[in-house]
Amino acid sequence: MHERLSFYVHRDSPLHRLNPLTKLTMVFAFILLSFGSPWYWTPHILIVLVILPLSFVGRVQREYLLTAARLIFPAAGFLFLMQSLFQPIGQTIWFRWWVLEVTHEAVAFAFVNAARIIVMVSSFTLLLLTTHPSELMSDLTRRGLPSQFAYVIISTLQIIPQMQAKAQTIIAAQRSRGLDTQSSFVKRVGALVPLVGPLVFGSLVEVEERAIAIEARGFTSSHAKTSLCEIPDSRFDQILRGALIVSVILAFVSRLWLS
Amino acid sequence: MAIVTLQNVTYKYPLTEAPVLQNVNLQINEGEFVAVIGPNGAGKSTLCYTLAGFVPHFFKGELTGTVEVAGVETHQSSLNEWVLNVGLAFQNPFNQISGAKYTVFEEIAFGLENIGVPREEMKPRVEKALALTGISDLADRSPYSLSGGQQQRVALTSILVMEPKVLVLDEPTSQMDPIGTREVFGVIRTMAERGMTVVLAEHKVEWIAAFADRVVALKDGQVLLDGKPGEVLTSPLLEEAGFGISRYTSTARKARELGLWKKDQLPITLEEAVEGFSLTSSPSPKERGE
Ligand SMILES: Nc1ncnc2c1ncn2[C@@H]1O[C@H](COP(=O)(O)OP(=O)(O)OP(=O)(O)O)[C@@H](O)[C@H]1O
Ligand SMILES: [Mg+2]
Repeated sequence: MHERLSFYVHRDSPLHRLNPLTKLTMVFAFILLSFGSPWYWTPHILIVLVILPLSFVGRVQREYLLTAARLIFPAAGFLFLMQSLFQPIGQTIWFRWWVLEVTHEAVAFAFVNAARIIVMVSSFTLLLLTTHPSELMSDLTRRGLPSQFAYVIISTLQIIPQMQAKAQTIIAAQRSRGLDTQSSFVKRVGALVPLVGPLVFGSLVEVEERAIAIEARGFTSSHAKTSLCEIPDSRFDQILRGALIVSVILAFVSRLWLS
Repeated sequence: MAIVTLQNVTYKYPLTEAPVLQNVNLQINEGEFVAVIGPNGAGKSTLCYTLAGFVPHFFKGELTGTVEVAGVETHQSSLNEWVLNVGLAFQNPFNQISGAKYTVFEEIAFGLENIGVPREEMKPRVEKALALTGISDLADRSPYSLSGGQQQRVALTSILVMEPKVLVLDEPTSQMDPIGTREVFGVIRTMAERGMTVVLAEHKVEWIAAFADRVVALKDGQVLLDGKPGEVLTSPLLEEAGFGISRYTSTARKARELGLWKKDQLPITLEEAVEGFSLTSSPSPKERGE
């Protein structure tokens, strides 16, 4: 059925062995750097010299490049085109086409923005590819994230495929009773209405039962929680996190300085 | 010694008119294996929720009378303390999967993590529990990829591993085949022999007959009968009240009307039926051969 519920690829690599918080810090540091650094080429450099090599270090280059080719680059490319064509900024006109003016400034702006999007999505992709979701959550809970909050995130990640499967079942059941889900658009939207009931009401009952089930297993227990898997947090992790935070601060300070 | 005591327990869900449990009195001893039977809507699940503390701490509504487990009264306790004493597994296995774990092993460990069991202790306990319910080979699978019966075993194991004093099970074998059911009843029996108190709501009368120490028959929220399986399951009141009864009992009852069942006691298991019928059986092969 849904044997693979997360993006996580189970492999042994230095990136897999990093503490989850270090990787999370890395993601946010890359994003902040690509938006906050005063130097124009920061996001581009990050992509080519950091993110791409990291995907090899993490031995997930195949998965990463596939995601990049299918999703990240097309989305960023679209954004680049839109912003180059429709941003009403700049005087240096490169060329004019119909009512559109493409200026040097708009293209430059679009180019850096597209790179930022690539940094953002790519670093999250790498995080998800190399971090077991329950490890991430256990680690964050250990560091004080409320366990309810962690639970909501992680169970949502798991529940989406189930909701899809259930919607399929309900559609099949209703179609077998003669409900039309295959003709014109308006009809199809109309036909979805009877779906909502079972999906939502079914979910409410399920939510109640699930609440009982996790409560029965001591979820709100006042004892301090422990965790099954040991999550290493090495000296290297701590130094790396420190370095990332310092570099973000430096980027923002230098930006303020220069402006 | 009684570990569970219910006195004049009456309960009404917030939206129901009539009480779902009415004047229920029940005393259960430590290590006893009690089966609760009753037609649909009799209140079996509600009784389970009451024992497990979800009534009144989770389902609001009105609960009167006293519910006491291991010397503590339910109103005096909170749900998160109560569940340390009383474990609950219920029918739908799919909704008992925490949704927070990616393998069966982690899923079983979830409860132990929540109650702060140290890591060194956790692994052996999970392994032991998996072996007990016969699902060691599923340890690395995703809980969602399992069949209904396998998920029910996972649900049962997740509770067993927490070693509650009282184990409350609401139709825990509804999706299992006969072999699975027999194995799980065997596991429950073993737990009872080790001193765990078990309350089991179940429709499968023939299995109850073979494994339980005591049977409580519920009807419209009231205790109709309470006693040894041999007494309760053969009572003529049961069939009148619309309970499912063992086919061995019903066969022997028919046979008695025809004068073919000579014993006083009606059978509840295959063995008892065979034994009873062999007393009255047709002439032996030798006589027939004559
Ligand atoms: N959450 C609820 N809110 C209101 N009424 C409920 C709720 N749950 C059960 N009931 C009602 O309480 C009565 C007893 O239900 P209960 O689920 O305890 O029966 P049961 O003996 O477990 O039946 P079954 O054999 O079908 O499992 C039923 O009339 C039912 O409609
Ligand atoms: Mg029930």
